[in-house]
Formats: sequence, structure tokens, C-alpha cells
Amino acid sequence: MIEYLVFAAVFGLLLLGIHRKVIARIQIRPGPPIWQEILHALKFSFKSTWVPKTASSALFVAVVLVGIGIWSAALFVVLAGESILILFAIYMLHKIVEHGYGLSSGSPYGKFGGVRSVISAASEIPLFVTIAAIYLFTGSLILRDITAYQDIHGPLLLIAPPVALAMYIVILSKMPYGPFSIVESKELVSGYKTEHFGAWRAGLAVTDGLKTFVLLYAFVAIFIGAVPFWAALIIMTAVLISLSFVCAVTPMLSPFDSVTVQGIITGLMLIYAGCLWWVMS
Amino acid sequence: MPDIGGSDLFVLAFGDILHYFNPYTATLFLLALLFTGLVIASRPERQLDIAFGGDAYYAKMTTVSEMRFRRFMAIACGLASMGAMASGDIFNFTLFVSLVGITNVGIVSAVRIRHVLNAAYEYGIVAMVATLPLFGGAALILGTTGTLSIQALAAGGFAVPLVGKALLALGVIGEGMAPFYAAKAEMFRAPGAPYVIMCSLSSLLIFLRVVEIVITI
Repeated sequence: MIEYLVFAAVFGLLLLGIHRKVIARIQIRPGPPIWQEILHALKFSFKSTWVPKTASSALFVAVVLVGIGIWSAALFVVLAGESILILFAIYMLHKIVEHGYGLSSGSPYGKFGGVRSVISAASEIPLFVTIAAIYLFTGSLILRDITAYQDIHGPLLLIAPPVALAMYIVILSKMPYGPFSIVESKELVSGYKTEHFGAWRAGLAVTDGLKTFVLLYAFVAIFIGAVPFWAALIIMTAVLISLSFVCAVTPMLSPFDSVTVQGIITGLMLIYAGCLWWVMS
Repeated sequence: MPDIGGSDLFVLAFGDILHYFNPYTATLFLLALLFTGLVIASRPERQLDIAFGGDAYYAKMTTVSEMRFRRFMAIACGLASMGAMASGDIFNFTLFVSLVGITNVGIVSAVRIRHVLNAAYEYGIVAMVATLPLFGGAALILGTTGTLSIQALAAGGFAVPLVGKALLALGVIGEGMAPFYAAKAEMFRAPGAPYVIMCSLSSLLIFLRVVEIVITI
């Protein structure tokens, strides 16, 4: 199983490198090489590592391990075709981990990054709408059943495009350098990551790699269905490049605007799910 | 029974009152257990704050008596969250949820900072008001179907009223700070990271559990 984890983390970091490269080229900059994020993770692994004097030591270290743990669990949930409700839960619990990264250090920059993560909790609700709508169509939340449904009826991307759009926005809200990346904006240095350096930062990079891989792979499995693994990787890359375009041409919103826009999107998605339930029941 | 959180891994029956784990609730339970362990093992951080208009900064200290009280409340909150994750009975679930609401108020109300106390007071009112739809929803389901066993309701044959489910969800949303009360950043930036995180974790966990219950029954 360890080979899956290593592959997912490395490929996820490669995707984040492609993300940076695409954004840079759209903005007429050369940008870093696409393997830059992998190099970052390796570099931080060998940097000197300690815990800040002001930090809550046990929590400061534990949240890094929890972050890696929950996204490793999410990877196996997706690969095993288990309940996407678990994926939803892990996605929401990532907020708690971000909050933990920020608050445990005692740094004001980390703290505000963590607080911004919690106050933008509305960005998770479209994922709930996605799950509710998928249940209305397929009658199950087990990924195997959803894939089997698509084998018969065709991809959910064509059956329910707004549901796919809702999950696309959810993934967008987790992408770095995007319109909703208020947790890592530059006025907070590196946001909730500010005080985690050395091996801890390498751990955060692994978490980011796993998270990116899992979310994009889940998007392909849920909305396109069973495809060969190599095809899934190509589609994931294509989805990521489309996200990079959105991030490149959209300025980062202020925290207030970010929460407002996410709230409006959430409201629209809830209305859509309500209409869907009304029509299908 | 609709397959929402995966097949049952463990069932403990006390008459018609069940406690059960499926992969979904087991995941949530383990996270509650893990963070409760962290609350016990961690000491609060020394939070630094900036004095605006100059270069000065100051450290917020958590006193030992405050730490003890908040740690007790956070452990109680973790235990209540675990109970809410494992319970297969809607009444027990509502009791654990209301306990989460009370302990959340306790965790933040021990902080001797005015804006945190104000936010805790407001949240306390919201949590108290939310007990009405919470228990009202459970009562409505019991009155209509004659049972509060989640597995019995999920097995079919009962017309669970939609308004009952809606009231239950509304009650949980009111009892937990996350995701909707999370806009009150005053509470989430209070010093004492392990305890504040337990507030947000527990309220998120009960929200995630009620999603499963509402879809299942």
C-alpha cells in the first residue's frame, strides 16, 4: 500500500508544480520548473527542524501527522470505492487541521490563517450539495455503486453538470493562488503554515500533494466513472490546468468577499438541490 | 437500509437501543478519540499578539486554573462527541449533542477576555435556543413512528416526517459552532489551541453525523 501513498503524494506535488507553471505562463512569467514542489518537499525534509518556543508542542507536531493521516485514509477510501461521505467528512475535517496548524504555533500570522480557514467553512457546503444530489440520482453513496450507475447511465458529468460544477468549485477553493486562497495570502506571510518549517513543512507538502491527488481523482471517479488509471491521470491533469486558468485570471478576494461569494454559491447550490429533490421525489 | 456510511463493523444492542460503527462513524469516532488524547497531552500555546501602531507585541498567558477548567471541559466535549458518533438512538444522539453545546460554551467562557466572553454569551443563547428544534425533531419522529432507533427507522416501513429531520438538523447546526457559527472569529482566535480546536472539531463532527442520520432514516 505504501507505493500508492508515495505515488499519490509525488504525483499530487507534480500537479501543484504544473499549477504554478501554468499560472506563471498565463501571466507571462517563466515560472518555476514543474517539479519545484517535489524539490521543496525534499529540501524541507533535510532542513533543521524544531518547535517554536511559544507553541503547544504536542499539538504543533501532531496536526502534521493527522493531516497526512486523514488524506492517506481518504486516498484508500477512494481507491477502495468506499463511501464518499467519508471523503466529505475528511474534507471538512481538514479545516480543523488547518486551524490546528495556525493556532498551535502561537504566531499571529498562523493564528489568522487558521481563523480564516474556519470562517470560510461555507465553502464546504457545495460538497454536501454534491453528495445529496449524487444520492438522489444513484441511491447510494458508495463509490463502487456510483461507478456502476455510470456504466449503465453514462457519466454524471453529463447527467448533472451543476453537481459537477459544485465539486469543481470546492476543489478550486482548496487550490493555492486561487480566488479563495485567503488562508495563505501574503499579508499573513504563509498563513497557517508560517511557523511550520523543516520536516514539519515537508509533512505539510506531502499533505498538500495527497489532498490534490485525492480530490482530483475523486472528481474523475464520481463524475466520469471507471476509466483506466492512466486515463484518469490525464483527465486529472486536464482538470487541474483548467483550474490553473481560473486561478491565473482571478485576483485573490478579500476575506469578506471570499466568504460572501462562497455563501452565494452555496445558496445557489442549495436551491438547485432543493429543486432536484422536488422533481425527483 | 440505504448504504450511506458503509457496512456495519460492530453493533452493541441494549434492547432496542443500539450502538454501532460503520466505516463512516468509526472514522469520526477515532478522530474524536485522537483529539481528546491531544487535549490531555498538550499544554496551551503562548499566543503572541501585535500591538497595532508600533513594533510591540505581547504574549497571552493561560493560567493554570483556567487551563485545568478548559481541559476538563474539552475532555468532556470529546467524550460527548464520541458518544454522539457511536449512538444508534436518536434520543441519545440529541443528549450527546446538547452536551457538546454546553461544553463548547464552557471551553470558551473560561477565557478572561471581554470579546471572547461576549461571543461565548451569544453562542450560549444560540445553543440554548437550538435545543428546542433538536429535541422537538426527535419528539416528532418518536410521535410519528413510535421508535427512535436509527437502524429500525432505516430498515423502512416508517414514514419519517421531513419536518422532523429538518428540525433535528437545525438543532445540531445551532448546537455546534461550525459550520455556521464559525463566522464569530472571536472564539476561534482565543488562546488555548487544544481546547479551541476541540470546539470546532466537536461541532463539525455532530454536523457530519446528523447528515448521515438524516439521509439514513
